[in-house]
Amino acid sequence: MTRTTLTINGRRAQFDTEPRQSLADAIRNELGLTGTHLGCEHGVCGACTILLDGEAVRSCLMLAVQAEGASITTIEGVSLPHAGLTELQTAFRARHALQCGFCTPGMVLALHALFTNNPVADEDAIREAISGNLCRCTGYQPIVEAALDVSRANQDRLSQKT
Amino acid sequence: MTIGARALRLEDERFLRGEGRYVADLKLPFAYEAVIVRSAHPHARMTFVSLEAAKSLDGVIDIVTAADLPAGLTAIPCRIPCHGDMAPFLQHVLARDVVRYVGDPIAVVIATSRAIAEDAAELIDITWEPLPPVPDSVAALNPDSQKLHPAGNIASQWTFDIGNVDAEIATAAAVVRDTFSIQRHSAMPLETRGLLAHYDRARHSLEVFGPTKVPHTNRALLATMLKMPEGSIRFIEPDVGGSFGARGEFYPEDFLIPWVALRIGKPIRWIEDRYEHFSAINHSREMRFEVVAAANAAGMITAFDVRLVSDLGAYIRTHGDVVPSHASASFPGPYRIRNYRVHAIAALSNKTPSGTLRAPGMFEANFARERAVDLLADKLNIDRAEFRRRNLIPPADLPWAVGTESVKRPTIFDSGDFPAVLERALSEFGWDKPLPKSEGPIKRGRGLAVLVEPSGLGPFEGARIEVDQHGNVQVFSGCSSQGQGHETSLAQVASAVLTIPIERITVRHGDTGLIPFGGGSYASRTAVMSGHAVYAAALTVKEKAIRTVAQKLEVAEHDLQLIDGRIELLGAKEMGMTLGSVARLLLPGNPELMPPPPVANIVDNDGLTSTSYIRAVPGGTSVFAVHLADVAVDEETGKIRVERYLVACDVGTAINPMIVEGQIVGGVVMGLGGTLLEELAYDQQGVLLTGTFADYLLPSVHDAPPITAIVIEKEKSPTNPLGIKGVGEVGPSGVAAAVGNAVAHALGAGARLSTLPLTPERILFARTPGAA
Repeated sequence: MTRTTLTINGRRAQFDTEPRQSLADAIRNELGLTGTHLGCEHGVCGACTILLDGEAVRSCLMLAVQAEGASITTIEGVSLPHAGLTELQTAFRARHALQCGFCTPGMVLALHALFTNNPVADEDAIREAISGNLCRCTGYQPIVEAALDVSRANQDRLSQKT
Repeated sequence: MTIGARALRLEDERFLRGEGRYVADLKLPFAYEAVIVRSAHPHARMTFVSLEAAKSLDGVIDIVTAADLPAGLTAIPCRIPCHGDMAPFLQHVLARDVVRYVGDPIAVVIATSRAIAEDAAELIDITWEPLPPVPDSVAALNPDSQKLHPAGNIASQWTFDIGNVDAEIATAAAVVRDTFSIQRHSAMPLETRGLLAHYDRARHSLEVFGPTKVPHTNRALLATMLKMPEGSIRFIEPDVGGSFGARGEFYPEDFLIPWVALRIGKPIRWIEDRYEHFSAINHSREMRFEVVAAANAAGMITAFDVRLVSDLGAYIRTHGDVVPSHASASFPGPYRIRNYRVHAIAALSNKTPSGTLRAPGMFEANFARERAVDLLADKLNIDRAEFRRRNLIPPADLPWAVGTESVKRPTIFDSGDFPAVLERALSEFGWDKPLPKSEGPIKRGRGLAVLVEPSGLGPFEGARIEVDQHGNVQVFSGCSSQGQGHETSLAQVASAVLTIPIERITVRHGDTGLIPFGGGSYASRTAVMSGHAVYAAALTVKEKAIRTVAQKLEVAEHDLQLIDGRIELLGAKEMGMTLGSVARLLLPGNPELMPPPPVANIVDNDGLTSTSYIRAVPGGTSVFAVHLADVAVDEETGKIRVERYLVACDVGTAINPMIVEGQIVGGVVMGLGGTLLEELAYDQQGVLLTGTFADYLLPSVHDAPPITAIVIEKEKSPTNPLGIKGVGEVGPSGVAAAVGNAVAHALGAGARLSTLPLTPERILFARTPGAA
């Protein structure tokens, strides 16, 4: 057993794991944050996407012990339970950009990372940002539309400032 | 009116926050983990040499094989009427002596952690004696091949022969013959399967978390296999990450995990991994059609003659031969044809067993028929849309009985105006508008497909509605939900009758502890059937409330009306009661309405509640749909890009148009996967080659074209009071047909496009004689 210490959704957390445990399993099993989903466990589907030091990564492709000292945001850290949804989450709902909800946390985090770096991302950048996230329900079109809504809103705010 | 509103989904917030509760998110104290040990051989005789090393590993609790199963345990029964006796081909929950596919379950390891269980599985000592494989249906039908089962390699075969096919073909002005093949692929929900079973020995109570699709049916089946009272078993559906027909059937694990929980007396959790899923979940679609299609000089299709061979894999599962059965029954599609012959064969091979996948049999049959129809139109030199226009069943001929049947139900198209939908689709898409120019190796093409998609099948559905003292509503439905949005759609139906906003309506489903009977969700039936049941229950709640208020206020029932959740006296609005107050009046034992004790048996004082069960129309209700695609094909690389796509359909009534459009758009992309990318590949020994998403390609965002869904609500279904036709399978159903026709159009005369998926390789060889 190895002790790992990290920051998750703004809080310090410490847990003991076998060195072979993946970060995704540790987030789910040791920290009880089950919004990080496992769709393939081999790094293709993107359902387990988290933000690790601000970057969108697949938590199934890392060992928990490798995350020592890292700062992680999972879907549970994107909006607080009793606060409203974020603009991106609201756009997902308005555009019917989710059905079964299984890929949704990964999609939201991948786009969250995109907009943090590029608030006015265009359609190509949006498609590229979620090109590693599989969705079996929506056909992607409404997800892209939801992201474009956010991008346009960001654009409007920026142009009002100038 | 909440029916027809683009209401935002009630499910969304929990999913967006990561608060959905899927089966892998559930835990019970002191649970053990189970791992299924599976055959790596397609066909072999097997002997367990020793389990000792595995059992002695620290943390291993138990290992069970077929030798440990209860005496007299039956195979998993087929739950659907078939074209023959399926008993000799059914799958047992664990293989005994002989394995017949890669993935065949042979043992269950139970340990304190999944990692330990996986380690132990590696230590099981087995000897394998390989047997000659039956790698495909061609081999299966060869009389010299190895027999997979003592009863042979053909599970069933049947024929429909309507009219005089031979005479029409002999006298036709044009005849085309081709063979069309659809590859084996599967539903691939993004969430794998899983179960968590807990047995409380003291109360003889077994709870199973994780079932979906048909929980009541599967509970009855498990009760029979375990020889337990049905009431001692509760199936509870958590949130479910997609099914598309495959998930939720009764698989070997659906017996094994609850049975191990009974055996050990501790909760048992099994979560399938993706690699396992590839060989364990039902496969589907593998089918070959030899088609002869004939037309007269006036451009009227006169006959279809079809030989259909389906490869169902190693065993017959719960769906029997339903997929080729549906394909054979519905092959003629929306055309006015009275000469149709089909001979269908359900063959077995050393591959994973098969079941349904969204638009089962239809995706396949539509591809074969619509390709053949295009070939006929080309041969007669008639525009492909005009050719279809001439041959569609006219509204006056509906309801239309094809003359076939599937699962003992007649194939009937109940209602619609097919030509009107076709014209709308053609004009919205711009069928006659010129295509973008072909540039260099990039050739452009346009394709069209028309189809009828059945929906609303299955014998019955049920719902119970309960209103509490505060006017909150609970709807208990016999349906299940795998992400479609039924919690919202059914709340909208209840809301429309009860005039209570959907935010105050909670829909509970997939739980055998909450409603005694339920059909479940499959065959695009939930809006049609569960919608009907909720509507009926809501109407009786409303009637009961009005009757109660009439009694309380001593007024006539017809002077009362329900508005905004309150029953009011016409012309004297201040006289009235909210539904919550009515619910309080009707509380059992409440003396306000019924002074005690005139009668002990308070029949009507069971709260403001009602239960309704409704029966289905045997033929269900069908949706006519048109698919249109523009494609760009690179002749040098063979790459296909779908540039735009349109689906138009008449759904009768859309409870929530946003959800309906979502079903169509998402369904089209799923269909594109089956058309261009997805294939469960086997080698000639019967070894499954695709075990990851790196080699089994699902459509990504880059594969998704702009898709337009035209949802028409004109021709109501006569089968249910809301006029609904089910839309869940319209999306994928016509994609291979429309895209196949578009690619053929792009490549020009002489190109053969008859084998799916349309890979770059096949496109490059489409013009080579003899290749397909």
